[in-house]
Amino acid sequence: MRELPRRDFLKLTASALLTAAAAAAAAPVAWAEKFYREPPWRRKKPYWGFCVDIEKCIGCGRCVDACKTENDVPREPFYVRTWVERYIIRKDNEIKIDSPNGGMDGYPPVENPETVAKSFFVPKLCNLCENSPCVQVCPVGATFKTEDGVVLIDRKYCIGCRYCIQACPYGTRYFHPILQVADKCSVCYHRLRRGKVTACVEACPTGARMVGDLSDPQSNVSKFRENNKVQTLKANMGTEPKLVYKGLDKEVR
Amino acid sequence: MKDIEHLLRVAAIFLVAIALFVAVRSVVKPESYGKLGRYRAAALDEIKALPVRYAGQQECGPCHKTQAREKAGSSHRGISCESCHGALAAHAAAPKTAKALKPEESSMRGFCLRCHEAAVSKPAKFPTVEGGKHNPDMACSMCHKPHSPKI
Ligand code: HEC
Ligand code: HEC
Ligand code: HEC
Ligand code: HEC
Repeated sequence: MRELPRRDFLKLTASALLTAAAAAAAAPVAWAEKFYREPPWRRKKPYWGFCVDIEKCIGCGRCVDACKTENDVPREPFYVRTWVERYIIRKDNEIKIDSPNGGMDGYPPVENPETVAKSFFVPKLCNLCENSPCVQVCPVGATFKTEDGVVLIDRKYCIGCRYCIQACPYGTRYFHPILQVADKCSVCYHRLRRGKVTACVEACPTGARMVGDLSDPQSNVSKFRENNKVQTLKANMGTEPKLVYKGLDKEVR
Repeated sequence: MKDIEHLLRVAAIFLVAIALFVAVRSVVKPESYGKLGRYRAAALDEIKALPVRYAGQQECGPCHKTQAREKAGSSHRGISCESCHGALAAHAAAPKTAKALKPEESSMRGFCLRCHEAAVSKPAKFPTVEGGKHNPDMACSMCHKPHSPKI
């Protein structure tokens, strides 16, 4: 047998080791890439999503009222799980946002309508964050994301520290004055699991609100996301909401 | 060789601490914790069991065929019955005992105008009227049928 020169031996070993190391490193990287690039609803069925069509909202406030009735949200003192903001953008770029009683009882007439450049309604609710700040800060694990993508509160284990209320970038949480726990939109989880739509979707007269299963490509929300230009709120925060808006003006925060 | 005693003492303290932790945890930990994630799985069942107040559009049709058919052919077709009549799950389950409400004639104008009052903020395509000018002092239902409003 011919003897292998030392230089060749070292070269061979090094290249073999490098190839093996690269192969070993590539597998988890490929897996991680797939995991983080792929939307979560490819992994779990069903996976709930919500869409709002701002161009259809007429600001009637039926959703706010329905949500309160369905979920026993306190009327006195007044709290909301969902509310509708009215944006009034004047021609001189002055912006006014109001939401008296969450929009439940209507809005006062707009003064000087001839100076209005643009005005519209923006319904707000839980943004169904994929990376929820509220879940991360809860010290007792009382707020959590379910397997089907909904953020909920365990009322028995919530200690009422209000940390999550501070953490929510969208201001959708409040402190329930009677139960003495944090409370928030649950996208009517009890209704979804019974095959019904949320109370706000049920009450919406114009179809401006939609709830559905993102894991089903034929569902109303999947179709809506596919056929329209949709945006999320505060995208720069990396919360990756599953609540998307169509016709979102750049002034909306 | 005597130094090993120190190590043993530390090890003993650690063992006791771990045993204590395991004991306390087994008592304090909620039973269903960790079954689905870092939360109490039983909380999901509690949330799922919450009562439903809105029956849903599909429940009303079988008993109220006339209204359902009338509405389905009108521009109000997209509005669910309970959007106007309020939460009626109790009524749908027991129509004799739980009475359903309908908007009264005295409050009819306010009721319809909540959606139909003209305002700059509303989408331009949405049919609106100026409540103060559109046949004031008459209930909307004198001319428009609520389940089929086109005249
Ligand atoms: C199981 C059959 C049934 C279902 C389901 C049902 N109803 Fe009724 N509903 C009745 C009956 C029967 C009456 C008449 C009750 C009476 O007059 O004592 C009634 C009365 C009403 C009235 C009052 C009519 C009036 O003149 O005052 C309204 C409004 C109404 N229903 C709406 C609804 C809506 C909306 C739904 C769907 C959530 C619904 N109902 C589901 C059987 C039903
Ligand atoms: C746009 C709002 C609206 C919607 C949507 C609506 N209703 Fe009504 N409904 C009314 C009003 C207003 C009255 C009262 C009419 C009156 O007093 O003249 C009424 C009356 C009724 C009555 C009493 C009998 C009658 O015809 O006057 C029944 C029963 C009824 N509705 C059932 C339904 C059902 C079932 C649906 C869904 C298929 C439905 N309504 C959808 C507004 C609505
Ligand atoms: C919850 C909101 C809501 C309420 C309450 C409501 N409507 Fe409507 N109405 C609508 C919507 C949505 C449409 C459809 C608009 C469209 O076609 O884009 C509509 C359409 C109409 C139209 C146009 C009909 C046509 O075919 O052109 C009339 C007229 C009308 N409604 C009258 C009424 C009257 C009268 C009442 C009170 C009994 C009433 N509406 C209550 C939401 C409402
Ligand atoms: C005296 C009868 C009468 C009364 C009362 C009445 N309307 Fe009308 N309304 C009409 C007529 C007639 C039209 C025009 C019909 C058309 O163009 O379709 C009309 C048109 C409308 C339209 C516009 C429909 C469209 O296609 O643009 C709306 C919305 C409307 N009415 C809502 C109401 C509301 C809300 C009330 C109660 C506050 C009301 N009406 C009361 C007779 C009436």
